[in-house]
Amino acid sequence: MIVCSRCSKENQDHYKFCLGCGAELPRESSKPRSFSAPTPPGGSSSVGTGTKPPRPMQAAEAVAAVDPVAAAAIQTDPTPVQAVRSEPAAAALPPELAPLGEETAPCTNCGAQVPENFRFCHVCGHDLHAAPPTNGRADAPEERVSAPAVAAAPQPSAARARVVLIQPDGSEGEGFPLGDGATLIGRGTGGIFANDAYLSPEHAEFRFEGDQLVVKDMESLNGIYVRVEPDVPIELFDGSVFRVGQEILRFEAPAAPDPAPDGTQLMGSPYRGFLGRICLVIGRETTGSCFPIPSQGIHLGRERGDVVFPEDGYVSGLHCRIHSEVGHIFLTDLGSSNGTFVRVLNESFVPKGTFVLMGQQLFRADY
Amino acid sequence: MPGKARLIVVRGDEAMGEGLSYLLQATEHVAGREADQIPFPSDTWLSPIHANFLYRGDRLVVRDEGSLNGVYIRARGATPIQIGDHFICGQQLFRVDATPRDTSGPEADQTYFYSSPRRPSAFRVTQVLEGGMDGIVCCANERTVEIGREECDINFPDDVHMSPRHARIEMSGDTLELVDAGSQNGTFLRIRGERDLNHGDYLFLGRNLLRVEVTA
Repeated sequence: MIVCSRCSKENQDHYKFCLGCGAELPRESSKPRSFSAPTPPGGSSSVGTGTKPPRPMQAAEAVAAVDPVAAAAIQTDPTPVQAVRSEPAAAALPPELAPLGEETAPCTNCGAQVPENFRFCHVCGHDLHAAPPTNGRADAPEERVSAPAVAAAPQPSAARARVVLIQPDGSEGEGFPLGDGATLIGRGTGGIFANDAYLSPEHAEFRFEGDQLVVKDMESLNGIYVRVEPDVPIELFDGSVFRVGQEILRFEAPAAPDPAPDGTQLMGSPYRGFLGRICLVIGRETTGSCFPIPSQGIHLGRERGDVVFPEDGYVSGLHCRIHSEVGHIFLTDLGSSNGTFVRVLNESFVPKGTFVLMGQQLFRADY
Repeated sequence: MPGKARLIVVRGDEAMGEGLSYLLQATEHVAGREADQIPFPSDTWLSPIHANFLYRGDRLVVRDEGSLNGVYIRARGATPIQIGDHFICGQQLFRVDATPRDTSGPEADQTYFYSSPRRPSAFRVTQVLEGGMDGIVCCANERTVEIGREECDINFPDDVHMSPRHARIEMSGDTLELVDAGSQNGTFLRIRGERDLNHGDYLFLGRNLLRVEVTA
């Protein structure tokens, strides 16, 4: 929370400008606050033209960074990432966010030095509370001590895949190895995930099913979003959530009309073959602006389409569309620069090279 | 003052025909889908007993008889309204809603909620669809929502009864106002309880548009 010094309004930590009076909020960095975007916002809106507090590290921004052209535009201000990621550390830290202390023990699987308050190794994801793999004896500590020397070199089975952090400038950041078994990641597993306040302590679990990588949402607050392939329709169901630029949208299927017992029907605006609505998610059970989807479907974009987000520079001119086929509703990315991401409902396959948003960072699944 | 006023059906129930007029000769005159005095048998938006037109001394008033869909009176200029009020522009029905409480605070475990960017908004306007579902929701851009056929916050390019700039909802101070922007076909506000009627007033009962003529 940042309290505005001018009007005393409370703002979320990632806001650059006060929602109450528009004053610039204090940052840790003094770098310029240009809100560079792959495609500059413009045009008029049916959504509204109020000032929008730019979010420091946008998923879409990070995706944009993969595109060299977009990356060039974004590179001018990589600062916000630092600002946001360091903010949670400034506040009182929950135990799982505490800095790596002196109390470490070697991982029995890969030998990395792991803080003792971690349940899982932050390098290979090994469950440190699990029984030692080689025997069932309770007095395993001796074996732990000797492990580092043996396992110093990475073993193929311990790192079958990696999730690689994609930095705002488009370059690859640190990777996080995924083993053959289940690998739990989250704010509590440390490493590249430690300082992202938008990750739950236990956020996601990766595992292999045959040759396919699978990610499971561990009932995280903010979920896991997987980028959909352009021009490939993805079915939407009541409650499906997807992300376009900075906007988080929820699809709502139409509810059946409910006539009164005396035969009177509820009066209202003409309603013709409406496929449902998409609603901006602005809180846990709260939506902001909503847009009905007529029978012919809708397009979403920054400049063109039926629903436009002129202030969101991470939305492409024409970004995606929603339409109906044989009674089902589909979302299709139209080759947008920054992609369309669908929130994983419980579990999802993660094909090779797929971009995954978790918390406020973007990752690529390499295997 | 029985006999003083009449109701003219400007647009309405097919079974009863348009241009029909009712001279209000008694003290009370019940309108509804199953009413005897002012019947609209084929309009399913009317409750069996919908509204009552009655004289109170020399005043003519309309009272909503607890109908499902309500009684709407044309609102000219600026009219004070409240959260929860319903109004009609063109063929569209709207409701004015409060901005919901912020539910995007951090969790007990200090995980922050990742929401779409939120803009300050004093209230919101929700379109109510036939059958009762919510349609468009437009959060006020600061303190105003403008409705019309084009270049407004909510646009209905296909609604021929909607003027280009039809009406707006404004928050001025702590007061909400419904402002008709000189629209061709008018902006209608749902009444609460009962209201006085004057010569030249227009009302919507379901799909029926009525005009009030006071002859005396």
